[in-house]
Amino acid sequence: MTTIEQQTLAISPKEFGLAIINSKAPFSSNHGKDALDVALIFGSFEQKVSLFFQGDGVYQLIANQDGRLVLIKDYLKTFSAFEFYDIEDIYVCQQSLVNRQLNETFHINDVQVLTSIEFGKALNRHQHVLRF
Amino acid sequence: MSTLHLVRQSAFTTNDFTQCLSVLDHQDTVVLMDDGCYNLKHPLMDSLLKRVDGTININIISSHAQARAIKTMAKISHIDMADVVALTFNHNKVITWQ
Repeated sequence: MTTIEQQTLAISPKEFGLAIINSKAPFSSNHGKDALDVALIFGSFEQKVSLFFQGDGVYQLIANQDGRLVLIKDYLKTFSAFEFYDIEDIYVCQQSLVNRQLNETFHINDVQVLTSIEFGKALNRHQHVLRF
Repeated sequence: MSTLHLVRQSAFTTNDFTQCLSVLDHQDTVVLMDDGCYNLKHPLMDSLLKRVDGTININIISSHAQARAIKTMAKISHIDMADVVALTFNHNKVITWQ
């Protein structure tokens, strides 16, 4: 194997950081809370983390929710701490919003709504992916 | 013979709601609870509402919808868990879709 081939096999320098895909609705399982915990842990160790919301996961970002009504500690409020953990790249699948008749009103700022193609491209820029 | 259908899953993720609608009969009652509340905005709901000729009764658990910031419509009755208990006595059987 030549040096050049080894370089092409090595991970592309453009791919870096951790992508976390959220695909579950917020209150009926622990997946959303678990994903949040992992994101904040990686953030505390100054690792690059991006969040992706797809499918029923987009419900985690919708404004005016209140988990207390279904006796759940509202972990969604912690999303507003992302900026303190330097988690700045938050992507939402536009098609998932459209399918669910949701408008782009979120309970946190600086959320980027991407088309399916852009969403896939953004995901592929990351070296590691965890899906919840 | 009437059946009470408790729908607890989002139709955007599972096909439970599709299966529920396929066996739904006259005089049946549907209750949307937990993630089933999301089905209010699913295209399947439109087809169900068209079928409602006054015989099929559609309900939603008020607090579950409110927790999820879901706006409901006039054709859907708002109920609480105590009403669900009452409904189980008014129907011959109960199917939980989860």
